[in-house]
Amino acid sequence: MKYHVFTRVNAGDDMIHAGTVQADSDRLARIYAYRTYDEEDWEFIGVVREENLLEVKTEMIAGGKPQ
Amino acid sequence: MSAETETSWPEAAVDYVQSIADTKLLLGQRYGEWMLKGPHLEDNISGASNAQDEIGQVRQLFRLLKQQGVDEEWLESERAPEEYANAPTLDEEAENWPTFIVQVALSDRSAWLLLDAIDHDDFTGMVQKMGEDEYFHLEHQDGRLETLAESQPEAVEAALERYFPQILSFIGPATYDEDSDPLVTAGFTDRSAADIRGALHDHYEALFAGTDVSVPPLEDDVPDPEQWDATRRRTDDGHVEAGVVEQLQGVSNQEYVIE
Repeated sequence: MKYHVFTRVNAGDDMIHAGTVQADSDRLARIYAYRTYDEEDWEFIGVVREENLLEVKTEMIAGGKPQ
Repeated sequence: MSAETETSWPEAAVDYVQSIADTKLLLGQRYGEWMLKGPHLEDNISGASNAQDEIGQVRQLFRLLKQQGVDEEWLESERAPEEYANAPTLDEEAENWPTFIVQVALSDRSAWLLLDAIDHDDFTGMVQKMGEDEYFHLEHQDGRLETLAESQPEAVEAALERYFPQILSFIGPATYDEDSDPLVTAGFTDRSAADIRGALHDHYEALFAGTDVSVPPLEDDVPDPEQWDATRRRTDDGHVEAGVVEQLQGVSNQEYVIE
């Protein structure tokens, strides 16, 4: 599975998309993310399964045009 | 003895720490051998980090051993293979990925349990820092064992049957309980070999619960206390290969050492 890695340097900062890792479980993804992207003293580092990202896209509405 | 040392350790403690240090030295070697052979790039990155952690920990433990009078030359570059007191699980390079993961998982967790059992001022703070390293090693291994238990249970079980008796030998005899373990009675550790054996077994029983992997039983006669060598923490005369010792001691690149 593909996981996206998000980090921030300081509490309250916006998240930074640090990169991705491939992992067979959430448990492994946490470890891989830390080991791969440990170049900063992150205040937070987290992972999200790619399948859990919600795509935002323009949709047609009846009788209308793309927004 | 260095002026940095306030107290001498009990005699058996030097052998105990030597064996933990040598196990970490061999863990560094085995992680290094596999750092480009894992199934994912991420496994290789984690393995390389683990190798660095282990070698860093070895330097700290060797420093303490030197303070206790262990000869520096012997410690770092003059030992024969049979003088290394590493866990017997690490004598040989594993031949495949599941075997490697079981090999390092049992060895790394056991070395950590033995280190964490030390109750002595010389280790205060240092062991806590090492524990922060070990969290990532042991989580990686347990995460990998979980997935391998699903995909290759027979390979995991075969490796457990091969290595579990050896790691029990490294931890110590079942007869070393809180009333008889010489390191506990001397006040150097606060957890007996018998207790650590049980903790290790319980951990893997819980990890593999609900899978097709069976953990070997906790045999009280393994190792045989009559045959057990407390210095090398094993019952046989096995050892790492001479070629591995040459790598550990930097023999082939000795001419490039910066004096």
